[in-house]
Amino acid sequence: MNYDNEFDPGLSRRDILKGSMAVAGAAAATSFPFSNAFAAGFPDRNLKVYVPTREGGGADRLLRSITGVWKNKLGVNFEPSFFPGAAGRVGYEKYMGLAKDDMYELLFGNMGPEVLNWVVKKPTFDLSTFQYFAQVDSDPGIIFVSRRSKFKTIDDLVAEGKKRTLNVGVSRLAHPATLGALALGKHTGAKFNPIPLSGGKNTRAGVATGEMDFGALPSGGIVNRAKSFKVLLMFSHKNPLPGRSENAPTMNDHFKTNMPSLIAGSRAFGIKKSAKAKHPDRFKKLDDTLKTVFTDPAFKKAYAKTKSPWEFVGYRSAAQAKEYADNIARIGAEFKELLSGKKS
Amino acid sequence: MELDYDLAFFGEMFARTFSFWWVILPSIFLGLIVGAIPGFSAANTIIILLPLTLAMDPETGLMFMVGLYASSRMGAGIPAILVNIPGTAGAAATPLDGYPMTKQGRGQQALAMSFVASIAGGLLTTVIALVSLPWLSQIAFYLHSVEMIVIMFFGISLIATIAAKDTLKGLIAGFFGLMIGFIGTDVVYETPRGTFGFLELYDKVPLIPALVGLFAISEAFAIIENQSILTERGKAAMAKPGWAATFEGARIAASRWWHITWNSLIGLVIGVVPGAGAAIASFVAYQQSKTYSKTPELYGTGHIEGLIAPESANNGVTSGTLVPLLVIGIPGGATAAIMLVVLQFHGVTVGPDLFLTSPELAFGPFTAMAVTYTLMILTVLPLARYMSNITVVSTVYMAPIIISFTLVGSFVPRAYLFDMNLALVFGVIGYVARKTGYHVAAILIGVILGPLMETYFLRAMKMSQGDIMVLFSSNIGNTLWVLLVVSMALPYIMDHRRGKSEKIAANDPYG
Amino acid sequence: MAENADAQRAKPKSIGSELIIPVAALFFTLYYFYTIIDAPWTAQVAAFIVGSILILLVVLILIKSVRSLGTGEGTLDFSNLVKPKAYVPKRLSLLALTIAYIFIVPSLGFTITTFLFLSLAMLILSDWRKKRFIISLSATLSLGGYLLFIVAFKTRFPAGPFETFMKGFL
Repeated sequence: MNYDNEFDPGLSRRDILKGSMAVAGAAAATSFPFSNAFAAGFPDRNLKVYVPTREGGGADRLLRSITGVWKNKLGVNFEPSFFPGAAGRVGYEKYMGLAKDDMYELLFGNMGPEVLNWVVKKPTFDLSTFQYFAQVDSDPGIIFVSRRSKFKTIDDLVAEGKKRTLNVGVSRLAHPATLGALALGKHTGAKFNPIPLSGGKNTRAGVATGEMDFGALPSGGIVNRAKSFKVLLMFSHKNPLPGRSENAPTMNDHFKTNMPSLIAGSRAFGIKKSAKAKHPDRFKKLDDTLKTVFTDPAFKKAYAKTKSPWEFVGYRSAAQAKEYADNIARIGAEFKELLSGKKS
Repeated sequence: MELDYDLAFFGEMFARTFSFWWVILPSIFLGLIVGAIPGFSAANTIIILLPLTLAMDPETGLMFMVGLYASSRMGAGIPAILVNIPGTAGAAATPLDGYPMTKQGRGQQALAMSFVASIAGGLLTTVIALVSLPWLSQIAFYLHSVEMIVIMFFGISLIATIAAKDTLKGLIAGFFGLMIGFIGTDVVYETPRGTFGFLELYDKVPLIPALVGLFAISEAFAIIENQSILTERGKAAMAKPGWAATFEGARIAASRWWHITWNSLIGLVIGVVPGAGAAIASFVAYQQSKTYSKTPELYGTGHIEGLIAPESANNGVTSGTLVPLLVIGIPGGATAAIMLVVLQFHGVTVGPDLFLTSPELAFGPFTAMAVTYTLMILTVLPLARYMSNITVVSTVYMAPIIISFTLVGSFVPRAYLFDMNLALVFGVIGYVARKTGYHVAAILIGVILGPLMETYFLRAMKMSQGDIMVLFSSNIGNTLWVLLVVSMALPYIMDHRRGKSEKIAANDPYG
Repeated sequence: MAENADAQRAKPKSIGSELIIPVAALFFTLYYFYTIIDAPWTAQVAAFIVGSILILLVVLILIKSVRSLGTGEGTLDFSNLVKPKAYVPKRLSLLALTIAYIFIVPSLGFTITTFLFLSLAMLILSDWRKKRFIISLSATLSLGGYLLFIVAFKTRFPAGPFETFMKGFL
């Protein structure tokens, strides 16, 4: 499957099919069995992307909008394959097991929840042989309530949490937004009981129907439902969406803490370290061209269709991605007992 | 929420919706096809056709999706009745009485009954949903985890109902299914359990491969010993083609209007609760129908109410899932969730305001559903006669076709080859179960409801921090518990009373 | 169920095959328990309740079976499973073909594998009669399946030589 503007309503379906088939045919015809040693000839065939979530989800949409522009800069297409399951575990293990280290095969994951996965339960592969090389979005974790809730500010909520244990709906326990809620409870002394509801959709339902006292999720799915939900607190250094979140305070500002950003949506491209070591020139070409995607107006236009806030996207380097992943892993380790139900 | 109920407005809405017949008609036929093939569903078809759906304007796209959704629900019942293979989990209770009818050569009649029950149930609940939106949407605020646990028990108690002939075997099959349903990580701490080391099983046993294996593959292996799936009497009955059976089926179904009403309302209420769904609704409906029936012993032999109950219930779910979607922006099911994505893509924000800002989009899904069901009376009902002809195809051709096409179906939802192997494993389990008197439907009920019940149970326990009394902490929940006990005890009480009267009356072997 | 009724009429009852499901359920439950021995309580509670009841039910049916063996009402044979015997070769061939289908489909692709499976299976089941009809029926069905599943619905079924070849024309 190719991402040839499948989301552009201006094209008819027939045009789209024809276009993608033609490109695929041409690419197949010109593919060459020998790997070119110079980045100048790279890439000469389509790039394969392993996505550890399901087709049609948020990662899929973001990837479509990025590769839709990136492919023009590389001259080849991207072929995503989706391996949903076991909270990303299937996708990572498939990638580590199957992908060749010729720089033609990448992984596109969501760092936060996936790094926490490994904290809770060790992966079957050696983590040190893998790295993220570019983070492409950052959607902060938030605390939110239903519009019907009696809590109007974060202080109301914390005050009640000191009187009784509040149930907080979360997507999963091993999730950056959950860590945020736990850290908030730890800092303020309020008692929060995280209830994993398997996914953002169920979490929003749990909060909307009043079964949960409040929720902790990435902000993206909440700020665009401002009629149903109210954001009370953000776990980032500054509020990236003051206008769309009624200027919700950040945890660090409001509670004078010094927490690293708990970015809940943190999609990033990953690669086997061996591929980077073998083909530094190819790696550089991929990384350099990816950077230019984010300044391309065509990308902004494509991204607008995903309805996610533009403020979240942007290129962050391998070093920044690593710093973020390390932070999350560290805070995760701090709450390991709560996340895994086992004494460590 | 304030809604302006104005008859003229609704008249206008229906007229407007009818003008989209050119979208709705194709979507009906597409829906029938994807509903009938296990592995395909309205949800994944809409995903596949996203480029097409997104290219339409929101209103046209909505008509298309709703038409597809409603007709796929009906499509799923067709193979369930004709070849004992439910097209989706929502039709898992349909073959219990639908397939025995087919074997007796009453396939056409059974299809007609199922179509009428589906259409009437769907139409009725759509209209009810439309006029009672503000109240219905409140149901989700009252049915929480605790209440859902009891509703799950209504579904699970169907195992005992099915097991009536050989209780011990039936219970073993059902509990084996529940254990299989527990495969995968637990919903709280994500500890992998009973996965045999397969990552592909971490997210529980995927339903479609289980359904394909238990019903389709095992059926294919079983039927080859007979030339046809029909009994000798059935063959004779099929030799007289004509429209009579369709009319007769429709007439019989229409005469059970009260049954259709009651069961489609069960579907509507369960559909409104986010996360519940057609499978639960049809199990609960079947169980309820049998419990309050005067002739419970006829269920499973090709009994009319046993077919009508699940089919009217699962079509009631269809309109139910739209209620929370449009009123509070929370989809009631997978298909509704995808509709939400499409609406958002067009910049439509779903919620109470939608009814004021763009009523054509807010009420549109309901009028579209009503129009879809109306059009199906004319387009789908006449097809029963021709569809039922599939039952005269020799098993020499039928068995290989069933195997290859349902294996594809088991692959489709996740695109894992692993799932085809899984379908084969379930096929072997299903074959052994059939051959040795264990009910495959009992196993499947366990596989479907086990993980759901565990999820609600753990959620309730985690919320109460381990206090088991939470199960009896709500008034609605307690009322449901009482109803559950009554519905479990009632058959025995009735049996007892009937036993007394039967001693007096002459005994008719057929009931 | 008809099969069940047949089985019950036959005397003495062949109960060997009727124990396959309970014994499989027992072993699976024990394996499942083994995997959750030191898991958190959330992973255990539902499975321990249901599993214990299942073990109890299996023990009951085993006791019942041993009794009927003792009284001579039942025998420990597996004939139920393979009855009628005449169909054993066909059934085994169909099983072998199904397994082959799953293993071959990744390399030969949907269309060719389906064609081979359908034609071979139908030929075996029909005792190699109506060859021409079966071959053309299989060809039509596999091409129809190709158009429906791969061209129209774009399922990500593994592509084989046929699908790759056709891609050039579309």
